[in-house]
Amino acid sequence: MGAQAAAGRDAGVHLDSVGSQAGKCKGFGELREFGRTVLTLLKRNRELIVVSVLLLYPLTSFLGKRQVAREANIIDRAVLALTSPLQRALIWTLDGAASAWTGYAALRGVRAENLVLREQNRQLKSEVNELAEVRTENERLRKLLDYSRASPDPQLTARVLGVNPAATFLSLRIDRGEADGVRRGMPVVTPEGVVGTIQRVTGSYADVVLVTDPNSRIGVKVQRSRVRATATGKGESRALHLDNALRTEDLQEGDQVVTSGTDQVFPPGLTVGRITSIQRRSYGMVQSAEIAPAVDMTKLEEVLVIRTSAPIAPPPTNGPQARRGVEPAP
Amino acid sequence: MKFVTTVLLTLLLLTIESVVVRYLGFSVTRIDVTVAVVAFLSLRATTLEGAVSSFAVGYLLDLMSGRPTGIYTFLAVLTFLVGRLAASLVDVRSALVFVIFTMAADLGHGLLAIFFSWLTSRDAAFGSTLSALPLQVALTGLAALALYPLFRKFDSGNERSELGLLR
Repeated sequence: MGAQAAAGRDAGVHLDSVGSQAGKCKGFGELREFGRTVLTLLKRNRELIVVSVLLLYPLTSFLGKRQVAREANIIDRAVLALTSPLQRALIWTLDGAASAWTGYAALRGVRAENLVLREQNRQLKSEVNELAEVRTENERLRKLLDYSRASPDPQLTARVLGVNPAATFLSLRIDRGEADGVRRGMPVVTPEGVVGTIQRVTGSYADVVLVTDPNSRIGVKVQRSRVRATATGKGESRALHLDNALRTEDLQEGDQVVTSGTDQVFPPGLTVGRITSIQRRSYGMVQSAEIAPAVDMTKLEEVLVIRTSAPIAPPPTNGPQARRGVEPAP
Repeated sequence: MKFVTTVLLTLLLLTIESVVVRYLGFSVTRIDVTVAVVAFLSLRATTLEGAVSSFAVGYLLDLMSGRPTGIYTFLAVLTFLVGRLAASLVDVRSALVFVIFTMAADLGHGLLAIFFSWLTSRDAAFGSTLSALPLQVALTGLAALALYPLFRKFDSGNERSELGLLR
């Protein structure tokens, strides 16, 4: 009985085990069925699921991080590593093309710009020349003004309008005349030295006969040795001749010659020039010399007319040329 | 268009866009070439293929923006889906209609981008972005006009047979 009972218990246990296994088998089947159903469902709705994931994953990522940029993950790095060289090559190509085009466009504009700049350069050069001219004129006028202030006699500044075209009569025309108080015989000077005397006066113009004119005579003296003499114009040589110095007088090359005032035209002490050569003949009582004028008569632009109050004798210009006028320079 | 073709083309267009925008000096306004790509995908690709390609396009835009937040990836897929819905109603076969389609897509895309940016960062000033949107849409339309023949060349043989409301 006991054995039967034990056998029965064993059988019961076995049956339970079988039943349990059967239950398990049933559970697996259900699970498998469930899995199959899910798989079918997934397959059927694959498109919807994939699209939903593709749509919702970036949205939740964006909303979750609230605009905070994520760190580059391995996929980002891989994509960047693959795309960067291509991107760099494209940018290099496009940049090169853009630079070439920009360069071409710039070159097209260069010619027109060059023409404009050339024109500007020409205008600026012209302005610079004008300014230099004004500056030079300013310096000359300042010198004249300084000289005029230092001189005891009243002086009048005059602009040179033209020179006499005839070479045998060395004169020039100034823009001051009777209206300005200019009278015949008045001396004309510059800060460098004597220029000449007023030969003819009209309303607003006056002609000046230069000291280098052959008809001109000036009483002079040698500044160093005080030797008195007469300086005569030599005409075309643009030089003066020193006459009437006694043979025994002391003359040396390089001596400064100034006006003596004895001719009653030029005030004493005005620079005439410098002795360049001395001629002493073996006979005769006098000696002569060449004087280089202190003033370059060919470059005169402004002069001073000394308005002496005392009546001045007209300069000794008795030649036929003295009656000729002067024409303005072209 | 094939997935790889789409990705390479998008990469090329984004690179060109970055250079063009830099040369033309657009500070705020952009040319949304990716929207043009997505719009074309919504007209020609299947839903799954197009969604994956759009995801890739948006991901590339996010990545190349230098500030990947995921917003452009999401918007690309969304634009594709909405575009696909619209494409069931209209048939886009001419360049002009494609331009209109792309401009509409870009307008929606731009407004949504502004909205989502505002949603997450309310203190930012979006006035300038919003005022620049019309120009951005117009430029994108021009880009779509230029790109349409190229897209068609890459997608030859995949034309739809059914007709929509517009031709």
